[in-house]
Amino acid sequence: MKVRKDLNELINELKNNDAYKENIVHWQTIEAKEAKTADIPLNIHPALMEALQKRGITSLYTHQKIAYETVATGKSIVAVTPTASGKTLCYNLPVLQTISQDPNARALYMFPTKALAQDQKSEINELIEESGLPINSYTYDGDTSSNIRQKVRQAGHIVITNPDMLHSAILPHHTKWVSLFENLKYVIIDELHIYRGVFGSHVANVIRRLRRICHFYGSDPIFICTSATIANPLELAETLIEKELVLINNNGAPSGRKHFVFYNPPIVNKPLNIRRSATLEARKLAYEFLKNKVQTIIFARSRVRVEILLTYLQEIIKHKLGPKAIRGYRGGYLPTERRDIEKGLRSGDIYGVVSTNALELGVDIGQLQVCIMTGYPGTIASSWQQAGRAGRRHSESLVIMVASSSPLDQYVIQNPAYFFSRSPETARINPDNLIILIDHMKCAAYELPFRIGEQFGSFETEEVLEYLAEERVLHQNGEKYYWMNDSFPAHNISLRSASQENVVIIDQSDIANIRVIGEMDRFSAMTLLHEEAIYLHQGTQYQVELLDWEEKKAFVREVAVDYFTDANLAVQLKVLEEDRRYTTALGEIGYGDVSVTAMATIFKKIKFETHENIGSGPISLPEEELHTSAAWISINKPFSEGKQDRLEHGLIGAAHALRHIAPLFVMCDPEDIHVIPQVKAAHNEMPSIFFYDRYPGGVGLSDKLYEGMMHVLSEAKEMVANCRCERGCPSCIGMDSNIDTAKKDVLQLLAHFNKGEIHVN
Amino acid sequence: MSIKKKLNRLKSHMSHEGGVDHTDRNRSHVVMDDIPYRDVWEKAGVTPYYFEGNYCLIREVVYPIQQMHGNYSFSQFIDAVEAWNHHGGVNHPLSAAGFQAENFFFFDTETTGLGGGVGNSIFILGHASLSNNSIHLKQHILPQPGAEVPLYKSFLESADYTTMATYNGKSFDWPQVKTQHTLIRNHLPKLPEFGHFDLYHASRRMWKHKLERLKLAIVEKEVLGIARKDDLPGFLAPMIYFDFVENKDPQGMLSILKHNEIDILSLITLYTHLSFQILGLDKKQSAHEKYEVGRWFSQIGEASEAKQAFMHVSKGNGVEAMKAKHALAFENKKQRNWQAAIDLWKEVVNEGEGMLIIEACIELAKIYEHREKNFTDAIAFTKKAEKSLQQIIQEDQIKISISLDDLTKRSDRLSRKIQKQKRDEKCL
Repeated sequence: MKVRKDLNELINELKNNDAYKENIVHWQTIEAKEAKTADIPLNIHPALMEALQKRGITSLYTHQKIAYETVATGKSIVAVTPTASGKTLCYNLPVLQTISQDPNARALYMFPTKALAQDQKSEINELIEESGLPINSYTYDGDTSSNIRQKVRQAGHIVITNPDMLHSAILPHHTKWVSLFENLKYVIIDELHIYRGVFGSHVANVIRRLRRICHFYGSDPIFICTSATIANPLELAETLIEKELVLINNNGAPSGRKHFVFYNPPIVNKPLNIRRSATLEARKLAYEFLKNKVQTIIFARSRVRVEILLTYLQEIIKHKLGPKAIRGYRGGYLPTERRDIEKGLRSGDIYGVVSTNALELGVDIGQLQVCIMTGYPGTIASSWQQAGRAGRRHSESLVIMVASSSPLDQYVIQNPAYFFSRSPETARINPDNLIILIDHMKCAAYELPFRIGEQFGSFETEEVLEYLAEERVLHQNGEKYYWMNDSFPAHNISLRSASQENVVIIDQSDIANIRVIGEMDRFSAMTLLHEEAIYLHQGTQYQVELLDWEEKKAFVREVAVDYFTDANLAVQLKVLEEDRRYTTALGEIGYGDVSVTAMATIFKKIKFETHENIGSGPISLPEEELHTSAAWISINKPFSEGKQDRLEHGLIGAAHALRHIAPLFVMCDPEDIHVIPQVKAAHNEMPSIFFYDRYPGGVGLSDKLYEGMMHVLSEAKEMVANCRCERGCPSCIGMDSNIDTAKKDVLQLLAHFNKGEIHVN
Repeated sequence: MSIKKKLNRLKSHMSHEGGVDHTDRNRSHVVMDDIPYRDVWEKAGVTPYYFEGNYCLIREVVYPIQQMHGNYSFSQFIDAVEAWNHHGGVNHPLSAAGFQAENFFFFDTETTGLGGGVGNSIFILGHASLSNNSIHLKQHILPQPGAEVPLYKSFLESADYTTMATYNGKSFDWPQVKTQHTLIRNHLPKLPEFGHFDLYHASRRMWKHKLERLKLAIVEKEVLGIARKDDLPGFLAPMIYFDFVENKDPQGMLSILKHNEIDILSLITLYTHLSFQILGLDKKQSAHEKYEVGRWFSQIGEASEAKQAFMHVSKGNGVEAMKAKHALAFENKKQRNWQAAIDLWKEVVNEGEGMLIIEACIELAKIYEHREKNFTDAIAFTKKAEKSLQQIIQEDQIKISISLDDLTKRSDRLSRKIQKQKRDEKCL
C-alpha cells in the first residue's frame, strides 16, 4: 500500500509533475514572518495579567500594545488584523481592564454572525474564568432563552450580539437596557470589512441609532473595530461610525511560509480560447490532497458550485474517507448543521470542506493546510481572507487559485503583479441611500422622537421628517416629530438583503416528515428556486415542485438526476432622471436614477461533467421592478454605419468585459453591480452601456463608477487587447461570435467611449 | 433632484403604510389658553391639567356605591373585600385579607399598538378606586405626543394605591408604563412598588373550560352579565387616536374613553365575582366552577380549602361530581389517607366513565402494589385499566395521555411479583 504523502511532498509534486506544472502560471512564496512584540502594560490588573500568563501570553504583539495604549487615551480605533493575528486581544484587553476597575462599565460586542459571537463568547469567558474576575459576558441573540434575557440586560458587563439583533431587539426596547446604555464604555465592531455595500449601509444607520440612544442616556462609547486588509479601513470605519478613529495597521503577529500558486486550466478549444472548467480542475487538485488526508478547504463562488463540487468529491472520496469526511458549508444551511461542521474541522474529523465565502469570516475552524479557490473570489481582499484559511502561525501552507474562463479571472491570473502589488479594494457604503436611511429613521423615531433640526448621524433630517409627517408616519408637535403608527418598524426591515421576505425551502420528500431545510432571498429565488429547478443542498439534489410566490414557499423533493439548472433573467432599463453628465469628444457619460425591470424567462438543464445543454423550460414568475441609480456611457456618432448587428455585438462584448472589470474598482460582489448594453437608449437615443446598483436607491457603486469611468474603460480595453484569442472568447468579450470583427469592434467601441477617437475600419 | 422628489419616486420600495389621511394639516402647537374643542371636552367632564408649560386632559366620573355593573353592585365589591378579611388565614393569590377596599386601584390603558417596544405609547391611563363611599374613575388623556410629562405626572399624583388590579396588566400594561416612564424619568418621581392582581390569569383558570377566548369583553358578556352598547372594537382605538391627534375633534376619543371606562368598571365586577366564587359566596356557582376553585386551592397547597370545595362538588351528581371525587382522592393520597383515597377511587371506578376510570384504576393499582402489597387486587385494577383503555382507543381516536405499554409493563411486573410471592409463601 502506498504511504500517505505529506504537504511538502505534494508541493514538490505540484512543482515537478507535468500534469500540473504546465498550468502553473505563477508561484509566489511568501516567507515566514517573525513576531514583533512588546511588554504587557504594567497597569494591567494583576488577575488579568495572571490569566494571560496562564494562557501562555507573556508579551503582546506590537499592534495589540498600540491598540491598548490608544484606547486608554479615549480614542476610538480601527485595527487591521489579518487572519490569526490575535485581534481579539486588541479589544478584550482594554474592555476587561476597564471593567476590572469599574464594575459598572459595560461593553457591547457586535459580530456579523451568530456563529462568530458564540466563538468569541467562549474565548472571552475562558480568559475571564482564568482571571477569576467577577465579569459577566453573555451572547444576546435569537437563541438566547427568555429566562436569562433579563439577566443579560441588567447584569451583563459584556453583551455579545449581531447587528440584526441590535436593530430589531435591543434598540427598539432600549428602556429595558438602561444599565447598558447609561454605562456603555466600549462598542466592539469585529470584521468591519463585512459592513460594506447594502449591508454596511444598513449597519451604518443602526450605529446612528445606537449612538443616538447612547446620547439620550448620557454615554459616548469608544469604538474598537477590527478589519481584514482592505484599501480604506479608516475611511470605512469613519463613514460607518461617523466618528474620528485612529488606524492601527502595524501587524506584529508571525506567520508561516506560504505558497501562493496561480493555476490556469489548460485550453481545450484553441480557436475559441476555452479552458477546462475551473470546477473540474479544482476537483482534481482537491482529490490529490484529500486522498492523502491533508486538510483542505475549497472555496467556490456560488451556492450551486459548492454543491456541484461537493457531489463530485464525495463521490470519489467516499470509499477512502467515508461520506462525512467532506462537507459543504454555505448560507442556507441551518445553524446546527454549520456548528457541527465547524467542530468537525477543528477536531480533524472532517478532512475537507467546500464552502462559499461564508467561511471567509473568522469562524474558528482551526488550521487547514491547503486552500483551493475555484475561480478568483472577486476581490483581492476576499482572496487574502480565503488564503488565510490555510496555515496559521507557524506551519507551511499552500494556496491554489484556479482561474475560470471569465475575463476577470483571466485578467488577474495573467497579471500576478497586479494581484500581489495592488492594494486591496476599497469598501464603500452609502448610509444616506434614501431607501435604507428612511427605514432607519422610522426605527429611530420609534425609539425616540426627533427634534426639529436634529441630525441623524451626519444627515440633515428636515426634508425626510417632513415627508414622513406627510405620509402620516410621524406627527409633528411643537419642536418634535413623534412616531404615529401602530406598527413595529424594525420587524419589516432586514439588514441583509434587498428583498424583505425570504423564500422558505420545504422538503416534502417524506410526506410524514415535511421539514424546512433552508431559505433564500427573493431575488435569488427567481433564478434558483423556480419550478423544475434543481436545488442542491449538502450535495443532495432536490427538484422544486411548487414555488408559491405569494406565500414565499418553495416545495422541493429529493431527486437523483445528472444535470443542474441555470436560469436567464431578462432585464429592461429606462432613465428616469439625469443628475450629472459630462460630454466627451464623441459621446457623453451620465449618472442618475433609473428604473429596471427584471423577469426570469427560461431555464436550461445542463449536464454534469460535459456541461452540455440538454433541455430547457419557461419560468412564469411576476416581473420585479427596481428603482436605483446608474452610470452610463453613450456615443453620439453612428458606429460602423449601416452595420447594426456589428454595433449590437460590439456593445454586448464591451458590456461583458466591463461587467467583470467594474467590480474590481468598487470592491463589490459582481452581483451588486449590473451592466447592460442598449443599442438605442430611450433617453438620449444613443448607443449606451449602463451600470446600475442592484439595491433600490443605490449604495454608491454607480456613483463611484461615474467618477472613475475613464479608468474603468481603459482597463477593460487593455484586458480585451491582451487576451490571446483572435476573435473574441469567453475570457474577454464573452462570445463565440460568428462575426469576425467582434473583438476589433469591441476595442473600437471602448476606445470610442473612452477617448472619443475612432479608427477607420 | 430634491430628496422629497426622490422619496416619492422610491415609494414603492418602502414598507410603511401611511396613517389616516386628512386634509387638515395644521400643526398643533401647545397654546395654553386654546385647547381645541374645549367646550366639547368640558361637556364630557374633561378638564386640562397643566404642568411645565404643557398639559394633558383628565376625565373624572363618580359612581354611587349602589350602582349595578353587570350582575353586581359596587357595594358588593366592599362585601368581597370584607369576606376575604373575615375568612381569615386563607392563603390565595386573590386574597384581599389585610387590605381595605379603598386600597384597590383598578387600572387599564389604551395604547397606539400591541407590540412591546418604546414607540408603542400609551394615550389613556384609566383607573378607578373607592373613596367616600363612591367609585371614582379617572382617565388621563394624552392630547398629543409630547405631552407625556403632564400625563404621567398627573397619573402618579393620583396613583395613591397599594394594590393594583388589571386584566393582563402584568405582561402588558405595566411594562408599557415602565417603558414610557423610563423615557421621561428625569422629569418624574420614581414609579412606586405595589402588589398586583392580574385578573386575566384568574379568569383563565376559572373559565377556560367554557370560553374559547378570554378577552375581557367575552368574560363580561358570558360571565358577568355586562352588556356593552355601541361599544367600539378595541383594535380601532389606535386609528381613532391618530385621527384625533390630526384633527383634534374629541368625538372618537369620547367613545374610546367610554370603552376604557367600561373596561375598568368591569374589573371591579370581575374581582367581586371571582372573590365570591373562590369564597363560595356565589349561590349560582356551577359545579365546574367550584371544581376549578378546588383545583386552584389544591395547586397552591391549600389542602383543606381544596378538600372542602371538592367535597361540596362531589355531593352532587354528574361528571363534575366524579371529577371532584377523583381530585379529592388525590388530596387524600397527598395526606396519606390511603383508605379514604381507596374508597373514593373505587366510587370513581364504579360510577365514573372514560379516562377517569382508567386513572382511578391506576391509582388503586399503585396503592395496592406499593402500600398494601396486595398484588392480586393491584393486577386486577391494572387489567381493568388495560381493558378500558383498549376500549377507548377503539371507540374514538382522542389523544390519550396514558400509554397502553405502561399498563402492560405494570401488569407484567405485578405478575412477576405474584409469582415470587407464591414461591416465597411455599418456602415458608
